[in-house]
Amino acid sequence: MKKKILVANRGEIALRIIRSIQELGYAAVGIYETPDSEALHIRTADEAIWLGDGPRRDYLNIDKVIKAAQKAKADAIHPGYGFLAENPDLSQACEEAGIIFIGPSAEVIRNLGDKVTARRIMQEAGIPLVPGTKDLSRGEAGVEEAKAFAAQYDYPVMLKATAGGGGRGIRRVDNEAQLLAEIPAARSEAKAAFNNDSVYLEKLVINPKHVEVQIIADNFGNTVHLGTRDCSIQRRNQKLVEIAPSLIQDQALIDKICETAVKAAKAANYTNAGTVEFLVDQDMNYFFMEINTRLQVEHTVTEMVTGIDIVRTQIKLALGKQLAFTQDDVKLRGHAIEMRINAEDPQNNFMPEGGKTVSVYRSPGGYGVRLDGFVYQGFTIPEVYDSLLVKLTVFGFSWNETVDRLRRCLKNFVIVGPKTTIPYYLKLIEDPDFRKGDFNTSFLDTHPHLIEYTDQDNEVNKLARLIAEIHFKQENPYAV
Amino acid sequence: MERIVQGMSITEVLGILRQADGYYVTNTARDLSQSDFKNRILLHTDLLAGESRERAAYFSLEITGGASIHVDILRKQVDPFLKLELLREKMPHTMFQTLCRGVNLFGYRPYPPNVIRLVVREFAKYVDVWRVFDFMNHIPNMQAVFEEVQKAGKILEPSICFSTGPEHTDAFYVKKVGEILAVTGDEILLCIKNHGGLGTPKRIGELVAAIKQKYPELIVHYHGHNTDGNDIGRITAAVLNGATIVDAADHAFTGYYGPPPILSVVHTLKEHGKTAIGLDEQAVIDTSETLRNEREHYEYFESQFKGFLPTVQIHKLPGGAMGSSFEQAVKGKFLDRMPEILHKELPKVQVELGNWWSVTPGSQILWTTAVSNVMGGERYGNPSGDLKNLLLGKYGPFPFYQPADWIYEKVFGPEWRAILEKEGGMAEIEDIDIEKEREALAKRLGHAPTDQQLVTYLQHPNDAVNFFKFEEKFGRVYVLPPSIMFRRGGFKLGETIKFRDHFGKEHIIEVGPKQKSEAGESNIYLNVDHHQRLFVFQEETTENAAAAAKPAQLNKDEITELAKTGDIRAPFGANVCEILVEEDQEVKAGDRLVVLEAMKMQTPVVSTVDGTVVQLFTALGKTVQPGDKLVRIVTDE
Repeated sequence: MKKKILVANRGEIALRIIRSIQELGYAAVGIYETPDSEALHIRTADEAIWLGDGPRRDYLNIDKVIKAAQKAKADAIHPGYGFLAENPDLSQACEEAGIIFIGPSAEVIRNLGDKVTARRIMQEAGIPLVPGTKDLSRGEAGVEEAKAFAAQYDYPVMLKATAGGGGRGIRRVDNEAQLLAEIPAARSEAKAAFNNDSVYLEKLVINPKHVEVQIIADNFGNTVHLGTRDCSIQRRNQKLVEIAPSLIQDQALIDKICETAVKAAKAANYTNAGTVEFLVDQDMNYFFMEINTRLQVEHTVTEMVTGIDIVRTQIKLALGKQLAFTQDDVKLRGHAIEMRINAEDPQNNFMPEGGKTVSVYRSPGGYGVRLDGFVYQGFTIPEVYDSLLVKLTVFGFSWNETVDRLRRCLKNFVIVGPKTTIPYYLKLIEDPDFRKGDFNTSFLDTHPHLIEYTDQDNEVNKLARLIAEIHFKQENPYAV
Repeated sequence: MERIVQGMSITEVLGILRQADGYYVTNTARDLSQSDFKNRILLHTDLLAGESRERAAYFSLEITGGASIHVDILRKQVDPFLKLELLREKMPHTMFQTLCRGVNLFGYRPYPPNVIRLVVREFAKYVDVWRVFDFMNHIPNMQAVFEEVQKAGKILEPSICFSTGPEHTDAFYVKKVGEILAVTGDEILLCIKNHGGLGTPKRIGELVAAIKQKYPELIVHYHGHNTDGNDIGRITAAVLNGATIVDAADHAFTGYYGPPPILSVVHTLKEHGKTAIGLDEQAVIDTSETLRNEREHYEYFESQFKGFLPTVQIHKLPGGAMGSSFEQAVKGKFLDRMPEILHKELPKVQVELGNWWSVTPGSQILWTTAVSNVMGGERYGNPSGDLKNLLLGKYGPFPFYQPADWIYEKVFGPEWRAILEKEGGMAEIEDIDIEKEREALAKRLGHAPTDQQLVTYLQHPNDAVNFFKFEEKFGRVYVLPPSIMFRRGGFKLGETIKFRDHFGKEHIIEVGPKQKSEAGESNIYLNVDHHQRLFVFQEETTENAAAAAKPAQLNKDEITELAKTGDIRAPFGANVCEILVEEDQEVKAGDRLVVLEAMKMQTPVVSTVDGTVVQLFTALGKTVQPGDKLVRIVTDE
């Protein structure tokens, strides 16, 4: 019988995964909550199962997801990113229900999801770490541990939620007074957000580059890396622009980082696709940050420069296949940039534009252009999910060519209805520092003027607006 | 015969004109547009006519100045400088002519000297012939403009405004010409500015002859209007008595109040042995063939009052003010009182106020005073701010006689002598800090303005900013024909609109369906260059619509009564052009609160009580109806 894979996600990533499933000749099963009734992933999947009214809680309901997979007689579940992707309980539940989980084992997810355990594993394996503490003890003892750490390494330090991730649950602490105030606040926030009030301290690396390595491992002990990505351009720790490979010129350093990533994955007994994240400081020291135990949003840039379909590989490995390529087979070629086109108003503090209808949707095409989206003309963006509309990924032989292509594609995009991040990105990529590839995680803070773009319509659209107004008002209100 | 082309110096031009065997024609397209189409003829149309007008080889094309600069930005949404640039591309040889109101430039009241000089300098880059006038024929009011035009090396054409009556003798005018020449020197053209089209052919002939007799070398340019249908007679008399240049217009657009048709002038004078030098008659015909197709789209702006009006000899309103006067009469619902206003009250006011020249801004003062005298019941009982300024001599000395004491008493009260003593006479207007204005404009625009933008802003601050913002939002709309710009009733489903944008790119817009959403929004679909676009408009809420439709509830007495309690209402329909108080500000009776502008006249609304301003109900640029709340003052007692 034809294999069936359930995609436990929505939006663009559900479509992305469905494509690979269908390319393999398998059947894709979608799931959805009521607000997604008109979503494209349901139309594209071979079958779709309604979970409930949601919002979000049904996508997060492991029981319902497993039941849906059983109902559809699915052989495997792909969790995508977000929702249940890094929840070890789903991997566990799959194991118990005899369904293949496309991702690492529950134990690996659990170990790497716990920051302190992860640091311990990496320390034992000799992976360079940002200096940090264990989980702080509760009460006064924890405060003393924190003070001692700060005395040894100096402020600023980072206070992190052990269970945090994706940029959440992190705060910067610049002095002792702040430290005393922030520890209880961070605990209660972590408790509310992750149901786990453990926190720990790390030395703050100032203005680092965020460099990560895509790794992929089969169940037979083969682990390879697919090169680096740079995700330094972030807004409040949320990535906006991702590129592959890193623009660090020192190839020996890059090789070392990649080898370290493979070593880290092996130390964690990692299987399937994952991402090892590093910080690279201004003196080109690198530190392990964490391993993301899932497919990343930005996996597309790695696919563009390696030619390897990561999702297809994930599925094959999960189904028990051996890696079909060795490290030597992985060759990087050219550059790729991905931008997340969100329905947000950058000039209104990136306020989501959910609830609006996409009345016009026209996307760019041509050589070196890839789109991973899920909206269509007439689609009303649900207010209850994230604001990502489409990921634009471009490929080019040189960095310059890639930026040129990116600019062209952003200009070719027409999205009418919600405001989007496109005009902001257009301004961003015109920045000379971006063009030089000279950026780190402080880029948006040191380039605040980027927000002062004007969303310029072209001449014909301006004139069309007047014609529309004459049509609406029955006369030209500006020439009465 | 050598053609007179732009770029020639005044000396060269005068050399050619003084040897001319015949006469030259100025095509007064601007005056025609102003007199018969409320200034609405679009640049789009003038560009269509550009090629044949260039070929016609006129002495000049009057295409800017007068009220047109204000209307360009206010109603036609075109940059007055861009207009001249684009026309110059089409018409490389033709001299462009303007009409400048001296110290009032292209507006309605005096500007500071440094503004006048800057504005003239900027426009002089495009304008070759400068016709300058003052409605009191007060030469000092024109002096700054004279100087700047001559400095710029352009052709200066000072005017003597012409009117009729016992004071308007040849001797008076010849003396005026002498006063002008004393200021400007000999290298000028002289305009006889007959903006009303007054007097008979005989009268004009005599005047030209008298001037030429005293100043045989002076080139006389006759300008008239055809309001009574007889301007060709006056033009003929002018040329036969020595005028060298005359004004006329394209026949396809001629109406009742503008200049007469060029070809009729040419044919008439030919019989008298006078040739229109260099004029290509076929090009004149071709222009009108082009314009004729456009005229239907301007119908809405033609006068509500059809037919020639020989009674202009009685009421003396200038052709350029006729259309707007009748429009006001229609909107104010007093069209039935027009015979009384025009034929009884206006001539009476004219004589009472000094029998000077009825032309902007004086014509507006006469007109509003006459309307107010008839409609308001009591004569001079509701004087406008500008009438007060006139009586105080702010515009210049009365040329013939001062109005009678009883008018002063009526307008200023029993203390009028003291007021006249204290406030009378022309005020010295001080230079303003232009760089500060530039900063203010930059702040309003969000970017540094160009010099041209600054010049437009200095003349009409609010309207200029609105226009610049319009252009940012809607682009350069002069590319749209009048059939689009002046469309009433919207477009038909499937109608296609083709045009070439400012940069030369061809576009096609197809009108799609119009739908109302559940939320009450109107969705308008257009296919723009074969791609669908949606435009969403909020319907006016019923509350707003009801408020807009609501007729004025209060009469004049009620408004006066409310004012005594500190509830200050608009006494008439107007635009708020200045707000002089803020909330929490203390005011005294007699303090100016806001300034209203109606019919181009500014009238301050003053407090009738002492107290504190607690609320402002209005905003700059807002249109108010009679009885609308302006300011709430809590009185002291």
